[in-house]
Amino acid sequence: MTTERLEDTDGQEATEAAAETSAEPASGRLEEEGDVAADYLEELLDIADVDGDIDIEVRNGRTYISIVSEDDDNNSLQQLVGQDGEVLEALQELTRLSVLSATENRSRLVLDISGFREGRKGTLTKLAEDAVASVKASGEDYALEPMSAYERKIVHDVVADLGFVSESEGEGSKRHIVVSGPAE
Amino acid sequence: MLADALEHLVRGIVDSPDDVDVSMKTNRRGDTLEVRVHQDDLGRVIGRQGRTARSLRTVIGALADGDPVRVDVVDTDRRR
Repeated sequence: MTTERLEDTDGQEATEAAAETSAEPASGRLEEEGDVAADYLEELLDIADVDGDIDIEVRNGRTYISIVSEDDDNNSLQQLVGQDGEVLEALQELTRLSVLSATENRSRLVLDISGFREGRKGTLTKLAEDAVASVKASGEDYALEPMSAYERKIVHDVVADLGFVSESEGEGSKRHIVVSGPAE
Repeated sequence: MLADALEHLVRGIVDSPDDVDVSMKTNRRGDTLEVRVHQDDLGRVIGRQGRTARSLRTVIGALADGDPVRVDVVDTDRRR
């Protein structure tokens, strides 16, 4: 089991991001958060006898932790992702709570296992592009399925890059994105 | 293994980890993991609308590999 740290090398971008919101956590705090989270997860993997390497990365004011295995058909890691990432979400929630308990800081860390979120990101990018294409062709708003805040963020970014408008509507588990546009 | 995993997950999210106790009970209806924590940590382990308890059940369920396991948070201070 190894823990590898990838430093954020894009210093300027990090500084700009920090200037945008005063609530942006200092990178020292994010590193501490990564260490606490990695310890929590590493011991769980040990107890459950699951093979996996833990990477910590701090970028754009967030800590990203990923558990990966060199063995592609690692079934036990797939179990920790679960159906539609259900187990991954639960584990991320508990990991955030472990950071809260150890540091008294609310963490927004993102946990990924076996690249599940990366794969999902590709799917979401495609969904966003299709939505924009539909709005372009029909001139009518396009509503997407409900998704988590993190996933909505990915879609908002793709839509904005394409010069269109997206807004979140609905509450709780029904919160979803509606694409309209193009932007003024 | 499941009891150890659950104990670790719970110890990491409470203020009084030394007061965490997890025990496996087996009866006709199957296995149940009973979690006991310090009274002041009950809220943390259960979470808003039971969200944290649900996360614990989801992760333990995944590690249990298909065998149904109940996870109960026991309120030891209940004197009603």
